[in-house]
Amino acid sequence: MLSTLDIVIATFNSPEPIQTNPQSLLLLLPLVAAIAIIYKATKMPTITTGGFLKETVTLLGSIVIFIAITALVLYVLAWFISA
Amino acid sequence: MEPRIKENNALFMLIVGLLSWVLPGAGHFIIKEKKRSAIIFVTITLTFCIGLYISSIGVVDPVASKICYTGQILTSPLVALLGHLTRGGAFVVYGKPSEIGQIYTGVAGLLNLLCIINAVYLAHLSGTESAGGKNAIDS
Repeated sequence: MLSTLDIVIATFNSPEPIQTNPQSLLLLLPLVAAIAIIYKATKMPTITTGGFLKETVTLLGSIVIFIAITALVLYVLAWFISA
Repeated sequence: MEPRIKENNALFMLIVGLLSWVLPGAGHFIIKEKKRSAIIFVTITLTFCIGLYISSIGVVDPVASKICYTGQILTSPLVALLGHLTRGGAFVVYGKPSEIGQIYTGVAGLLNLLCIINAVYLAHLSGTESAGGKNAIDS
């Protein structure tokens, strides 16, 4: 009988099926969150829970908005070129 | 007396840097930055594990993807152990999962490099502060 540990180890032995669709872009969010958290953890002089959360969420939002704007600009450019 | 202090500080910085590499956040822990240390450990370990979960341990490939492996090994020297396991090609992974896994694990390593540099810098500052060099911190 498989133990919980066996099952956990098995999940790391085979890749997850990931489709090439718009939903797969959501995988960007945990990565951006990690970058924002680490950046703020190294830059803030003193870490308080409220301040750290606020700063991290602000940075996370800024990065996501910037990526969305860049994607929109590239989409419009591609539309102009192909039209 | 001053060269001795400098020598000790350099050794301390080296230890902090090495500890940060061996275990993400350990360098900050040793310089008494416990909150920072916990945040760094959880975030980097989780990011690396998400990468492994998405694409399997086959994403750590020291033979076929050397550039990505260079980034991955910055997470911890323990990654070399995974590289040793996958060297034979038993866990080959292709396509989108491989791509996303490489990005996650590579970014985890690069983020740890940032943390190593930060920990060494903080150790340097604490050394100069204890030696009476407060000006170094002010500048």
